[in-house]
Formats: sequence, structure tokens, C-alpha cells
Amino acid sequence: MRRIIRQRYLLLLVLPAFLLTLVFSYVPLTGWYIAFSDYKIGFSFLSGSWKGLHHFSSFFRQAGDALAIIRNTLAMNILSLVGGLLAAFVFSLLMKEVRNDRAKKSIQIITFFPYFMSWVILYSVIYSLFSTSTGAVNAFLVEHGFIAEGLNILGDKRYSWGLIVLVNIWNILGYNSVIFLASISNIPEELYEAASIDGAGRLQKAIYITIPYMMSTVLVLLIMNSGWILNSGLDQYFVFTNPTNRPTMEVFDMYIYRYGIKLMNYSYATAVGIIKTIVSLAILFLVNRLSKRLTSRSIL
Amino acid sequence: MRRASPLEATFDLFNSVLMLLIVIVMAYPFLFVLFYSVSDPSQVKPGLLLWPQGLNFSSYRVLLRNPVILNAAFISVARSVIGTVAMLAVTAAAAYGISKRNLIGVRFFRVFFTLTMYFSGGIIPTYLLIKTLGLTNSFAVYIVPNMVNVFNMILIRTYIEGIPPSLEESAIMVGANELQVFRYIIIPMSTPVLAAVGLFTFVNQWNAFIDVQLYNYMSPDLYPLQYVLYNFLMAQSQSVEQAKRSLNLSAITPQSLKTAITVITIIPVFLIYPVLQKYFVSGLMIGSVKE
Repeated sequence: MRRIIRQRYLLLLVLPAFLLTLVFSYVPLTGWYIAFSDYKIGFSFLSGSWKGLHHFSSFFRQAGDALAIIRNTLAMNILSLVGGLLAAFVFSLLMKEVRNDRAKKSIQIITFFPYFMSWVILYSVIYSLFSTSTGAVNAFLVEHGFIAEGLNILGDKRYSWGLIVLVNIWNILGYNSVIFLASISNIPEELYEAASIDGAGRLQKAIYITIPYMMSTVLVLLIMNSGWILNSGLDQYFVFTNPTNRPTMEVFDMYIYRYGIKLMNYSYATAVGIIKTIVSLAILFLVNRLSKRLTSRSIL
Repeated sequence: MRRASPLEATFDLFNSVLMLLIVIVMAYPFLFVLFYSVSDPSQVKPGLLLWPQGLNFSSYRVLLRNPVILNAAFISVARSVIGTVAMLAVTAAAAYGISKRNLIGVRFFRVFFTLTMYFSGGIIPTYLLIKTLGLTNSFAVYIVPNMVNVFNMILIRTYIEGIPPSLEESAIMVGANELQVFRYIIIPMSTPVLAAVGLFTFVNQWNAFIDVQLYNYMSPDLYPLQYVLYNFLMAQSQSVEQAKRSLNLSAITPQSLKTAITVITIIPVFLIYPVLQKYFVSGLMIGSVKE
């Protein structure tokens, strides 16, 4: 008790953050109850009557829904993750060979820019280039006779996955390559000097020194990000999903948004959210075990 | 120094060309939007632009006089500035508190905060909570739920732990309490880390729009620039066309208005971008060296 009084000021400093976290991070967990009940808006989370796993099984009973959502989420997020790392890997290797330091710095500054833009801005920029009729790239291609009419890249469900993966690579290239370049700069200079004495050229140095050194970074990044593969972030898919491309574009978060917020089917949407969280945690633990075995490093 | 072989010279050339292409792919989309927004709509032909076609700032003139845009810019600035300051105050205070190993329940507090990085209640329970608390259709919803950022808290705590304890001890000796120590010693000593996380928070607040869609959908007065831009992009071109005619703006096309709003929304981030990029890169470097 005396300690509490002595530390009253310190506790006072922690108190606001403690209360805010309690309310905004822990109280919503009690909201999971509504997935097992028939919740009506305006009442407390615990007011609905018990419905068991009804909402969970109905997600899988609408088999088309569940299958498409899981397929879209996994396909786009895994392809984006792997594609983003692969592109940055190659880019960093080539960046290392740029000899002019000022050019190197400028390239880094420019490639990092899209990372700090909101998804609305990225959408606006992409729209102005790729919209069917007025998009500059489409207009350019039509004008020069490459295609007969503009490709409906933002609306046709055939292009959804390719669009998302390419936009993600574009957005994340600068971020990933900063991490790769940092790991390259940690490679001891002696290794390269020794290789030079042995007569190795730049290609050999890249193959036998740089690439093996970067592999562990690749693995760590791959593992760290794979736990969040179902949490696609609402922002990005919110701007790119529309009624015409929904069959191939809709991911877990958008589905939850559509059923919960738009259709006000709160209990059902929460149940889908819980399924998503449980599968995410399972993937996280699985990857963590795999990571321990491969790199003797735990991510949790 | 070995002389470059013809093969290497070819590679260097190829590499330079490739880098140039990458830079163009990264930057051109933004440049196109900028060029389009300042072009004269009557002179722009469909297709790519290498340079503005006839300078014309009428889109900007119209937008900067439009009360909706001005209000949105005000909301954007307000949420970014207030949101950043509020986050720093609450998060840094807690970071200082839990940096003290002898604080009562310090281990509990640390786990309590850290755990929230691994799970969340999800979109719907959070939405219902915010609604129940009466935070919907209010400016506060931009600020209050974002005042604690656990990732930033850990960064700040790590930094504070590096401050020599002797300073603090001597202040306590002459009778200062921890609030004063926090205010007059910890905050000034932590400016580098506070500046870095403050900058990122500012950008995140500036870029946010999904909370507007979720919570303030019904309150157009509280729309920030990002959300106004979003609505503009999604609007049927007919309604834009109509609005244009009612405003008697024959010289402006919907597309030039869209590009101009986009540029206006990018400018603040663009202005702080050099500093932002530097802080971010050094932060990432420190992080990866520590690994």
C-alpha cells in the first residue's frame, strides 16, 4: 500500500493508456459472445439468447461463399507476399551493383514513395491510368492499335488477382528493399576482398556471397509475414472491390464488412471473424514451429 | 583495380537501363496525375502525358474555394495534429511508467499491452463498441481509439531505458516528482524517438479513411480529404457532370478535378517525405541490425 502511494505519479502516467487499452482492445473480446447468440443492435453484447455454433456452420453451409473467400484471401495474400519479397530481392541485388552512390540514394527515395500513400490515393492514381475508357494507358494502347478497346482492369474479375499482386509489389518494393539492403550492408567486407583475390567477378560474388547471406533475411521476412496472411487489411480491398469483380476480389475482411456493417448481420459476421482469427493463429503457430526447426528462431 | 570486361560493361549498361525503368514505373503514375491536374482540359488528348498540356490551374482554383474541400482539409489537418499529439502524450507517459522495473505490477502491464499486438476483437465487435460508446458521428472517433499505440510504446520505452538514470536520480533528490521528471527530463531527452513515431502517426492519421466509412459515414462535416477524394472517385460520372454544369465550370472535366484533389491530398505527405523517409530507413536499419 505504501508502495502504491509512493509510486502514485508513475501509476498515474500509466493509467490513461491502461484504461484505453482495456476499453478498446479487451472489451471487444466480450463481443465474441454475439457470434454464439442472436444479437440485436442496441442491447448489450450478452443480451441475445444462446444459438450455439449455428452462425459458424452457416458460413460453411453457404459453401460457395466460404470456398471463394478462403481461396481469394489466400491466393492474393500469398502471391503478394512471395511476389513482393522476390521482386525486392532481385531489385536489391541489382541495386548493390549500382556504383554511383547518389544515384543509389535517389533510386531508394523514389521507390519508397508509394509506401507512404493511402489506398485512396493509390486507387486514384491507378484509376487515372487504367480505367476502361479514360485511363491513360488504355487510351494509349487503343490509339496505337495494340488493343481494340480498353481493358477493364479495375472491374473485370479476370484481372483481380493480377491487379492486387502487382499493386502490392509496386507499393511494398521500397520497404522490403530497405530491409534487404540493410542485410547486404551487414555482410563483412573481407569476404568480398578475399573473393576478389581469388579472382571472383561480380557475378560470382553475388552468387556465392550476397545471395546466401540474404537467404536468412528472406526466410525471416517470409515467416514473420505469413502469420498475418488472413488479415488482409480492409483499406486496400475496400477501394478495389466492386460488384463486378467481387467473385474473385472479396476477402475475409470485406465479407465481414459486407455482412456485418452493410447487411447488419452482426452475429454471423462476428462468427466469420472468429473463424478468421482462429485460422490465423493456427497458421502463426504452425509457421512458428517450422521456423524454430529451420532457423532455430521463434517469432512469438 | 581490374579493368571492367566487356561483359561487365554490358551488365552495367543493362542495369542502369533497368533501374531507370523501375524509377519510371514507381514515379510516373504520380507525375501523370500531377501533369493532368495542371493541364488545360481542352488541350489534353487521351493517352499518356510527358508534360502538362497548356497550363491551367482552374481545377485548383475551384477546389480551393469549395467549402466542402476547405472543411475536409481542416478536418484532415486537425485529426493529424491532434491525433499525433494525443497519441504521443498517452503512449509516451505509459512507456515511461513501464520502463521502471520497480513499478508495482510492471510485468503485468507489459504483458497487458504487448498481448494486444497479437489479437483483436475484430471489425464487428469494435464497431458495436464504438457505437455503444456514442463515438460514432463524432470527431473524437479519429482520436480516442488511436491514443495508445503499443508498437510505438515499445520503441519509446526502449529509448527511455537508454537515458542515463543519474539525471533522473538527481532531480528526484532535489525534490522533483515523477510527473516533473517526465515533463522536464524524459520528454526533452527523447525528442528523436518522439519525432520519429510522431511523424509516422501523422502520416497514418492523414491517410486514414476506413474509420470515416465505418463510423462517420453519416456526418459529411467530419469527412477528411481522403474520404472526400474517395467519394469523388466513386461518384457516377453523370453526377459529377451535373455538379459541374450547376457550378458553370465548362473548362473543367471530372478527371481534372479528380487529379487535382489527389494532388492536394498528396502534398502534405510529399512535403515531409524527405524527413519521413530518412527516419523510416534509419529506424528499419536499427531494427534489422538488432535482429
